[in-house]
Amino acid sequence: MELIINLLINGLATGMLIFLLAAGLTLIFGLMDVLNFAHGGLFAWGAFSGVWFYGLTNSFTVAIIGAILTGIVLGFITEKLIITPVYGNHIQQILITLGFMIVLSEMLKVVFGPNQIAAKTPPLLSGSWEIGDVIIIKYRLFIILVGILVFGIFQFILKRTKIGLIVRAGVMNKEMVQALGINIKQVFLYVFMVGAALAALGGVLMAPYSGVIYAEMGMEFAILAFIVVVIGGMGSFPGSLLAAILVGLAGSFMAYYVPALSLAVNMMLMAIVLIFRPQGLFTAKG
Amino acid sequence: MFFGMGAYATAVMLDRFDPSLSVFFLSIAVGMVISGVISFLVGLLTLRLKSHFFAMLTLAVSGLFLVLAEKWRTLTHGNDGFTFRAPDFFKDRVMFYLLVLACLVLVYFLLRRFVSSPLGRVLIAVRENEQRTKSLGFQTLHYKVIASVIAGIVASLAGSLYAISLRFVNTSVLTMDITLDALLMTIIGGVGTLIGPIIGAGVIELAQHYLSGLAKEYPIFERWIIFFGIIYILAVIFFPRGIVGTISFAFWKRKNNEQKVKMAPKRKELLK
Amino acid sequence: MSILLKVDNIHTHIGQYHILQGVSFEAKKGEVSVLLGRNGAGKTTTLKTIMGLTPATSGTVTFLNEGITKNATHHIASNGIGYVPEDQGIFGALTVEENLKVAMKKENDAARERQEYVLDLFPDLKKYWKKEGGHLSGGQKQMLSMARAFINDSKLLLIDEPSKGLAPVVIEKVMEAIIEMKKQTTIILVEQNFIMASRIGDTYTLIDDGETIQSGQMSELIQNEELKRQYLGIG
Repeated sequence: MELIINLLINGLATGMLIFLLAAGLTLIFGLMDVLNFAHGGLFAWGAFSGVWFYGLTNSFTVAIIGAILTGIVLGFITEKLIITPVYGNHIQQILITLGFMIVLSEMLKVVFGPNQIAAKTPPLLSGSWEIGDVIIIKYRLFIILVGILVFGIFQFILKRTKIGLIVRAGVMNKEMVQALGINIKQVFLYVFMVGAALAALGGVLMAPYSGVIYAEMGMEFAILAFIVVVIGGMGSFPGSLLAAILVGLAGSFMAYYVPALSLAVNMMLMAIVLIFRPQGLFTAKG
Repeated sequence: MFFGMGAYATAVMLDRFDPSLSVFFLSIAVGMVISGVISFLVGLLTLRLKSHFFAMLTLAVSGLFLVLAEKWRTLTHGNDGFTFRAPDFFKDRVMFYLLVLACLVLVYFLLRRFVSSPLGRVLIAVRENEQRTKSLGFQTLHYKVIASVIAGIVASLAGSLYAISLRFVNTSVLTMDITLDALLMTIIGGVGTLIGPIIGAGVIELAQHYLSGLAKEYPIFERWIIFFGIIYILAVIFFPRGIVGTISFAFWKRKNNEQKVKMAPKRKELLK
Repeated sequence: MSILLKVDNIHTHIGQYHILQGVSFEAKKGEVSVLLGRNGAGKTTTLKTIMGLTPATSGTVTFLNEGITKNATHHIASNGIGYVPEDQGIFGALTVEENLKVAMKKENDAARERQEYVLDLFPDLKKYWKKEGGHLSGGQKQMLSMARAFINDSKLLLIDEPSKGLAPVVIEKVMEAIIEMKKQTTIILVEQNFIMASRIGDTYTLIDDGETIQSGQMSELIQNEELKRQYLGIG
């Protein structure tokens, strides 16, 4: 029993981290029709800048805020410099964001050095609770709570505010949104910055979870996020949460029970979804 | 990804069996067959999707193979890699160079033959307008799968040769960097042409040597990949046709300018 | 009467195709101008070019004495042009209420009053207030799209084939709504249904092969059997 609960919490925590990455990816794709292969780079930058801020101030709150700000700034730069020039051309988008991914992760090595960096868990969140035989690691619970919180906030914004309404309308029909007098390019920029901020938040939360950070982590997690976006349905926010949890849990349980298959499980999930429901579990478009 | 498979096929076989020429050629064939089968399966699964999904999935699949190679240490020795002995024949670098050159010429002419074959024509049609090709009754999926299988096989051949030239493989042959290098070469040279990538490869390799040479004087060039990335991004934005594409486009434009004016006769005129 | 919108010799390319090859017409304030022509003549593209969705490569569009040819679509819309596209452009997963809300510039008393007024024109919409746009019938979608374009007190409405695919009873309703809206605003209408076009149109512009053939008063066109036969296939 306690084993199952542990695996469950593990899987959920990983799932939430992937969700933070996939949420931005899926929104950017759904609204802007842009597949951002540099998203993992933003994730890694979030992790490194967060750890740097933490080392500087010894405050995890500052680390999180610093990482989010880094994400927002990088998101702004990326959208203006990289995405806008190739807007509307899929192939060029894929190529250019791939290239930017490389630049982002190499820049990390220039700024922070090429080696792995150890990341500490803040004292308040380290340690664990014991409830009977079940040991719950505090930090994992913290990640899960943050994930739920982020999901809640974004669901609220999407469902209840004017800007959320515009974003949802834009996912369905961009031309029409413009024809109703809304500057969609401006909305694109905001969404991209928010997506980058979410990725950076995922990165900074990831750092104490895995203990070490390295430049390549961006790509590794981005691949999981891509799988999640495909499974969940491109552009669907709830879909990406569900798929992220699915991928997280599948990874955690498989790693324990059938370690040989744990590598392939995500691919298998994706293949199954693609064969039976190529549009993903959820669809955002009308 | 298929590049890596070719590299591993050759490396593992030369390592396990004796380093002779026949094993070498056999290993190329084995790499090609494996790559062909896998690219067929992956293509079947992913090519039904739009460009976005396709790119994402292929990336995910190649990521998976990278992880697989990292973990399957008994075969690949993971990131540490292993060295192996190449056939004595290739000890002479000139011989090796000639072999690679022969392969290049052979592949170039085979592919050119392929492009001008009926099959290749259909593929060009798919590139120009997939919907219309479909409505003409072609199963475009079949053609796209064929194209990806061929690309996989050629990449595998390149990987085999690459492994021989280094006499060492590790998991880096499966990383994105290789794919990106190839993409950069293609883009600089010209997408959709055969001669373009050859020119692109030449330009990039020279630039690479030059930039890493600079690293001795300016430490920033240690990370020359950054400059690569930046050049690449600039190329995508400002130079999307590449060297060959830009040149041939200029010619095409000049030829067409005179004809274009009367391209679309009006219906009224046709009725008269 | 003053000229609200003037289209002067516009040419529009979409990809490598030269769709509009010289379209010119004027829309006078308070009138319904109808664009007529065969399928593929360039009527829809003309509306899209006015909206800035497919900007003209040459020629000018003037609205309220101001050149808007190269303006961004959202500027053109905010200047007071409402657009009802051929496919109605309803946001399928949003409710009727939300569809209108996306278009509303402000949410104050005046805006709410305006909303009430528009809903009185389209009483059906009130009934389906919380229904998703994708689940509405074709006629309801048409109503919603027109209401949405009209909700900001637009000075000019561009309506693309409102009768397309609708049952005669529903067409009647749509027509009544357009006649009602005409009291408040100026309308440019693309319409294949000549009976409808001739009943609500004040002026016509005949487009063929991306070119203006002739413009004039609707009453003249109704008399002109030759023009109708050659370009509209009727009479």
